[in-house]
Amino acid sequence: MGRNVIRIKNVKKIYQMGKEKIQAVNGISLNIRQGEVCCLLGKSGSGKSTLLNLIAGLEKPSSGQIIFNKKHIERMNEDQLADFRQRYVGFVFQSYNLLPTLTAMENVTLPLIFKNVPLKERNERAMEMLTAVGLGDRAHHKPHEMSGGQQQRVSIARAFINSPQVVFADEPTGNLDTRTTYEMMDLITALASKNKQTLVIVTHDLELSDYADRIVMLSDGEVERIEDKRQAEGEKE
Amino acid sequence: MSTRDLLNMALRNLLKRKLRTFLTVLGVVIGTASIVVMVSIGIGMNESFARQLEDWGSLQVIDVYSPNGGGGHYMMEEEGSSGPQNKGKQVKLDGAAVDSFRQIAGVEAVSPIKSLYLMIGSGKLVADANFIGLDPATMEAMGYKIEDGRALSGEDVKAIVVGGGVEFYDPKLNWEMRMNSEPPEIELIGEKIDVTFDWGYGTRHADKSVKPFKFEVVGTMPADGNNGWSVIMPLKEVEKIEKAQKEWEKKSHGSSGGNNQKRSKEYEQVMVKVDDIKNVQVVQQQIKDMGYRASSLTDQLEAMKETTKMLRMVLGAIGAISLVVAAIGITNTMVMAIYERTREIGIMKVIGASLRDIKLLFLTEAAFIGFAGGIVGVGVSFVTSKLVNFVAMQHGSDMTSSIPLWLYLGSIAFATVIGVLSGYLPAKRAMKLSALTAIKTE
Repeated sequence: MGRNVIRIKNVKKIYQMGKEKIQAVNGISLNIRQGEVCCLLGKSGSGKSTLLNLIAGLEKPSSGQIIFNKKHIERMNEDQLADFRQRYVGFVFQSYNLLPTLTAMENVTLPLIFKNVPLKERNERAMEMLTAVGLGDRAHHKPHEMSGGQQQRVSIARAFINSPQVVFADEPTGNLDTRTTYEMMDLITALASKNKQTLVIVTHDLELSDYADRIVMLSDGEVERIEDKRQAEGEKE
Repeated sequence: MSTRDLLNMALRNLLKRKLRTFLTVLGVVIGTASIVVMVSIGIGMNESFARQLEDWGSLQVIDVYSPNGGGGHYMMEEEGSSGPQNKGKQVKLDGAAVDSFRQIAGVEAVSPIKSLYLMIGSGKLVADANFIGLDPATMEAMGYKIEDGRALSGEDVKAIVVGGGVEFYDPKLNWEMRMNSEPPEIELIGEKIDVTFDWGYGTRHADKSVKPFKFEVVGTMPADGNNGWSVIMPLKEVEKIEKAQKEWEKKSHGSSGGNNQKRSKEYEQVMVKVDDIKNVQVVQQQIKDMGYRASSLTDQLEAMKETTKMLRMVLGAIGAISLVVAAIGITNTMVMAIYERTREIGIMKVIGASLRDIKLLFLTEAAFIGFAGGIVGVGVSFVTSKLVNFVAMQHGSDMTSSIPLWLYLGSIAFATVIGVLSGYLPAKRAMKLSALTAIKTE
């Protein structure tokens, strides 16, 4: 396995709910390696989603450090974070988060628009990406004209179009049926492994962890156990 | 984000909510149109003043008088500013002065003026009129209006131009009979007529020793103008007649013209034509600084503009209020848009839109509303302006509306700026939305 792309050092996140303090993430230290599929597994309230938001720079930690390629994410301002997300990060959400007024193609090209990629090039790249996720014939449909699975494929295409170093997926199959779930996981891991991209998946579904190289089990905002499947396989051999 | 993508996206967002966009734009249309129409009425007012004054003569002409005419009071005022070398020295409105006026930058033509009240005779009819003697070459430049025929030119010697208000009558009739009879119609152009200082001309009281001067009428001036009751004649001829008159007076009444003789080289009045109305006040001030008295119709124009300044400001303010209301409308629309599009903003932020992109997107949308409102508003004001002028014409009112090009372009630019300003607060708000909370919004 490659070097560490993300290093998390003793990160805490405390929410103030009225007079009560809630420790969502309670001192987690973790390294995520380049090119691995890392699964953050835990029940609802285990702090897995909060941890993902912290790593992706959507939220600021209360304390601790998150270092992405030697850069401290917790110290970045809004502009730097926007730039960071644009360059290095792709997102797949449970609820797809497509813009309803744009076609599949336009949704996929959106990250490239913000990156100032010329129209012709971005349309070519979007078409390639849509073909890769099996939606070449749906490029000009709007989200409401597509099934949940198809919408999630569009959002996967959008996450990968910019060739990000890391793709974050937050319960990517939460709204899909079992068969589609496997299709989606096959697709997303295949895309990631093709370009040796790192994939961080947050889920409560134990079955998804089958796709992971490493499973980080979270409970009450702390790391309960880390299961390194590659190492385990290596040991078996 | 490229400008093209920005414009494209902003336009699409606006077209998504057609009715709301339309209503907001409508507000700006009304605001812009009311400002433009109000300002145009103000401008129309000033133009109509200028037109009114034009009837009384050219706005580009300055009348210069000798400082002696108004008494020493004026001179004493000027002495302080003209320096010690001028002390005690009287400035004279003579040939040298006329030459010095010609040297002033912006002066197009200069002519001394001498006027004389004389009799005209044409056949059996006579008329009395004020004769204005000027350099015939400058008559056209001085803005004298011609109704028929032509103005005097440099070559004219024994030629005159008669005002339409000069009334001819039969000198044999008494005053009462004259009032009751229709004034006789006579064709003057091309006529050889008599000009004389003998008030008995045409009657039995006529002085046979006075020989009338012969002139040809080359043109007429409209009766309603400033010079409707005057006759224009080359200056040299007026001077000749004046000289003859004085000699005759000396001979018949024994009065001494000695005092006048001394000042014969001085003129009562000099007309100075300036190339552009904008330079009139500057040239006028220079002439005043030389120690002469000077006045022009622009003095009146400035005074008229000054008195209506308040009214024009109130008109402008009424228009401005409607535009302020429109601006609030834009802000409201954009704030609503942010509530509706919170999730969309969040998504854009998460997938890499910079704060600048978000801000620019909202500002562009607001600017579009302003720009569209400005364009349509200017179109509406064009029609309204024509309508105002039409109604004013029907009622014979002097209130007209005039929209210069700068007002059109300026209003469009102004409406766009108003749009951007109105969009600033909402854009700032969109920028500050937390990406995470935004995408969690359902």
